[in-house]
Amino acid sequence: MKKFDITDQSSFKELEIIENLRTVLDPELQINVIDMGLIYHIDLSEDSKIRIEMTLSSSHCPMGEAILQSVKNCLEEAYPAYEVLVDLVWEPNWTYENITEEGRRQLGR
Amino acid sequence: MSSSLPKQSDGMYKLVLLHYFISGLCFLLLAVLFLFSIKDLSGHYFNPHLLAITHLAALGWGTLVIFGACYQLLPVLLETDLYSSKLPWFTFMLFIPGLFCLVYSFWVFEPGIHMQAGGLLLTLAILTFCVTVIKTANKSKNSSIHKEFIVTSSIWLAATAIVGTLLAFNFQYAFLPKNHLQYLRLHAHMGLAGWFLMLIIGVSCKLIPMFLVSRIQLSHLLSWSYYLVNSALLLFLIDGYFYGVNVHTYFIAVVLLAGLTCYFVYVKKCFDSRLKKKLDIPILKTVISISLLSVALILIPIIIYSSAKQNGLAVHYSTLYGMLLFMGWITALIMGQAFKTLPFIVWVRKYEHLSGKRKIPMPADLYSSKLLKLQYISYIAFCIVFFCGYLLYSQVMMTTGIGCLLISSLSYLFNLVILIKHEDKSLSHEKI
Repeated sequence: MKKFDITDQSSFKELEIIENLRTVLDPELQINVIDMGLIYHIDLSEDSKIRIEMTLSSSHCPMGEAILQSVKNCLEEAYPAYEVLVDLVWEPNWTYENITEEGRRQLGR
Repeated sequence: MSSSLPKQSDGMYKLVLLHYFISGLCFLLLAVLFLFSIKDLSGHYFNPHLLAITHLAALGWGTLVIFGACYQLLPVLLETDLYSSKLPWFTFMLFIPGLFCLVYSFWVFEPGIHMQAGGLLLTLAILTFCVTVIKTANKSKNSSIHKEFIVTSSIWLAATAIVGTLLAFNFQYAFLPKNHLQYLRLHAHMGLAGWFLMLIIGVSCKLIPMFLVSRIQLSHLLSWSYYLVNSALLLFLIDGYFYGVNVHTYFIAVVLLAGLTCYFVYVKKCFDSRLKKKLDIPILKTVISISLLSVALILIPIIIYSSAKQNGLAVHYSTLYGMLLFMGWITALIMGQAFKTLPFIVWVRKYEHLSGKRKIPMPADLYSSKLLKLQYISYIAFCIVFFCGYLLYSQVMMTTGIGCLLISSLSYLFNLVILIKHEDKSLSHEKI
């Protein structure tokens, strides 16, 4: 669960970004990128920039480019005044433990 | 956006679709030719119509779609761009005329220039495919068992094509020292175990856990599988060349079965540990495919026994074995995986740039689910009715079964066309 600091304005924005990213689905599994545990870090420290650090479930993922593009598109649509930067990282390695309880519930349907 | 994921050119996209489409046409043609060859099934498998059908199944239906899928999957599996985007076109241009020359010359049985030209064109096409695979693998920095499976399978395919071409020339010039049927058996197993089995294990062991979201992958079993299957095949070729089918063949079959058992255990563990519980039709087809492969394997000791005893049943069960492999294992797998891989290929091309911007269809929405169900049900009906009919020597049941296969191939082809011709309707609506 993401920690929320009520005194920090960026916390509200970060939560809003997380909710927006819940609309970005993995096309095969149809689970959103937040519940898949693909988003590692949301950085709002730079002015007018949203920097997302994320990974993919596999370096062989055939939909990898599409998922990265979706994250970028989604945030650019929601925050037109911001520049969105998506960094793909492989450390730490994504594992099945990254999937949230909600993600597992949806996969088990 | 910073990523180092491989990208595909427009030309390669068209080429991949062309492979899937022509392969679908070959599947339909295969069902039609089968309908005209029911009587031939009761005789020896070494007859013109069955040779034409087998080569259409192996090359036009199986190999062509695998080539197309490989051009898409190699960059993904080997994490590097394809060695060349021109060479695959060259392969395709040689392969198609070669295929139809060969199938036609088998059907009418003219072992002359058409058959020889067909063999040579196909061998050249396959050699250029091997260059693409090996050069792409050499570019790849990562070393994995998948890479070994894929590279080895392409080498076996080249060896199969070379032996096949020698056999085509042998029809006219009779220069080979041994019996033609003995080479035919070796040629067939190089293709089945060397090309199809190696490639299918190599690709499926990556795709199955990916599609099922499997927590446990016993990858060490794949290395065992690789060495055991290749050893069995090499032993079979050497022993088979000098002595034909004999008691040693039982031992070789045990080595092969041990290799396949490793693969089956790997797949079972992927299924058991999967997070995605619901199995869709393409994955169910994969399960059917593996089951039909298992049935074919059960026939091996019966075939060895009846061949060693020179029993008449050897031919009957060998034909059944071949049909279970081509029309069962390979066909079910292609029918399933085509609607797992192609929708993603088309989706990426049409929707990748729109994803996240607005509501767009998912890959599974790009084809007709009703046609997919029809294809699935008619294929199961084919398997049950046709194979039972073959065992019971019932031509009525075999004809009915092939009728079901015809429905299945038509629904497969129509669905393929729907998928390939898919247009973004919401975009045209927005323009209005």
